[in-house]
Amino acid sequence: MLRIRQILALACLTAAEAVRQPVCLLLTLTCISVTALVPLLLMHAFGEEGKLARDAGFACHFLFGALVAGYAASSSLAREIRSGTASAVLSKPVDREVFFLAKFAGVAATVLAFSLCAGLATLLSERVAEKFSAGPRVYGYVTDWQTGTLLLAAPFAAAVLAGLINYRARRPFGSTAFGLLAVCLLLVLFVASFFNRAGQPAAFDPGVQWRIVPVSLLVTLALLVLAAIASSLATRLETGPILAVCLLVLALGLVSDYLIGRGAGDALWRNAAYRLLPNWQHFWVPDALTAGGTVPAAYLWRAGLYAVAYSAGILCLGVLSFRHAEMR
Amino acid sequence: MRENPCESETVLRITDLTKVFRDFWRRPKVRAVDGLNLTVQRGEIFGLLGPNGSGKSTTLKILLGLLHPSAGSVRVLGRSPRDVAVKRYIGYLPEESYLYRYLTPTETLRFYGRLFALPRRERAVRNEQLLEMAGLSEARSRPVGEFSKGMARRIGLAQALLNDPQLLILDEPTSGLDPIGCRQVKDLMRALTRRGKTILLSSHLLADVEDVCDRVAILYNGRIRAQGRVSELLEKREAVSLTLPSLPPDKMKRILALAREQLGRDPDVEHPSLSLEEFFLRVVEEAHRADSQQAGPGQSPAVAGFLREPGETASKPGEPAGRSP
Repeated sequence: MLRIRQILALACLTAAEAVRQPVCLLLTLTCISVTALVPLLLMHAFGEEGKLARDAGFACHFLFGALVAGYAASSSLAREIRSGTASAVLSKPVDREVFFLAKFAGVAATVLAFSLCAGLATLLSERVAEKFSAGPRVYGYVTDWQTGTLLLAAPFAAAVLAGLINYRARRPFGSTAFGLLAVCLLLVLFVASFFNRAGQPAAFDPGVQWRIVPVSLLVTLALLVLAAIASSLATRLETGPILAVCLLVLALGLVSDYLIGRGAGDALWRNAAYRLLPNWQHFWVPDALTAGGTVPAAYLWRAGLYAVAYSAGILCLGVLSFRHAEMR
Repeated sequence: MRENPCESETVLRITDLTKVFRDFWRRPKVRAVDGLNLTVQRGEIFGLLGPNGSGKSTTLKILLGLLHPSAGSVRVLGRSPRDVAVKRYIGYLPEESYLYRYLTPTETLRFYGRLFALPRRERAVRNEQLLEMAGLSEARSRPVGEFSKGMARRIGLAQALLNDPQLLILDEPTSGLDPIGCRQVKDLMRALTRRGKTILLSSHLLADVEDVCDRVAILYNGRIRAQGRVSELLEKREAVSLTLPSLPPDKMKRILALAREQLGRDPDVEHPSLSLEEFFLRVVEEAHRADSQQAGPGQSPAVAGFLREPGETASKPGEPAGRSP
């Protein structure tokens, strides 16, 4: 019971510290702003604006999420080991295993909070993109400018409100802005549901494609795997090398099917490398949404199982590495 | 059967402790501690002295299980420092105040209280008393990262005391503190030892060590060069100092003549003086009485309520803690 309490305390602290850091907030705000801008800036997309908007949303989710995961892991572990806060905590009755796993849990919570915002932005961005509408009051290709403007305003509104709250109530700016961003995005979704694509009042209809959610979940699973890798690396490496290795693993994992996958049976090293590298293709399935397709629930479960198994293996290595690390 | 850490008379036992730091290729790089032998008994204030790089902080980190010894054995409260359970009875103030810079003092103490699984009510009481003791009640909602070094030191000390530890390990506790803060820390140490707590102190500030320590060990290059009771180590056996009240000139002349006759030379005569610390505290106390407005940490009790003996009253820094009638 004590260990569970300690894990909760440490994980909450890690998540709070991570979201209070300006870098994490900046990455999240940039991700949301870029995702919001894409459907408004697209021209001559030959009727594929929706696909382009959601693909750009997923890409932003993946790329910025990888940076958030890498940065949160390095700041919560590598920097703590270097700065001495890890020593201060480990001088209390806290097992090293508990400390490491709690740190990962905190990083995972940060990634989940980021993914919630990125997923909501992708859903809304796809709604904003120009589409053919045929109705009594709207007919033809219409961009949902009203929702697009609200979506674009959400990061600014969150930042301004957080600034005011910080001024009035002295609440930390970073975490308040992070929380308000999620609230603002949910509000945009709620408000947009009362309007049609032309911005005219209509019966309640969110007008978003919920089949985007499973794809966002798969990207989130990939980010959690990456967070596990970054956390394990953080037991020995500094921020720069951690981000470099994470991006390398990301790139290699994306092309492993093409580079070493096809000939995996030929050589032992290829076979081993193919199995050791996380295969991001399992988590990157935006093409499944083309022509009205969906991601089957069974696939989601299997990908989830793969993510859990892979993360567990990596975290075991991290525990072993951290157990023998010296806190200078 | 395992020894109860709270009842062990020998709180620390270090035998032939050696620590060698190695480079990336596992080749020996630095021998930070070399064959250290040390014992600290319950209720003692033990000072670990030495210049930079003499192995003090390394020794403290080995005692906390943060570093692993290369050779020798260490027992803390009768157990290995790798045993996590023993850390329930230890409070540690690191050399730098290693704090989470985005947390406020309240959040910091709440977090450490949760690591010790203190009940919510007890945690709240202790947090309040420690914040008051540290003089940080007014700064409770500011992130620790904005604090001055002295204020960070105060919150660092508060977190070290949160679990009412049996053994308090303090690495440079008065570094960065103003003289009032230094006096407060020294009063706190004395109050804790009255309750049977043990304190291991590492410091460069020799006057502080001399003021509070019962025994000291002086380290150089990882080895103990001198060890013993402070009074015995500092005593000049070849001379005696005699302090007298102010006397009329004729009586003084007679005493000096007698001394000259016995010694065969003039004795050294000088007026005893206050230490600069005593003088400073007196001036500040008078200034505070004249003007109670101030910008820094507030006036606070020297010892938090839960750290006092039953019946002991709160005292201001510099005043001895007294018992209520």
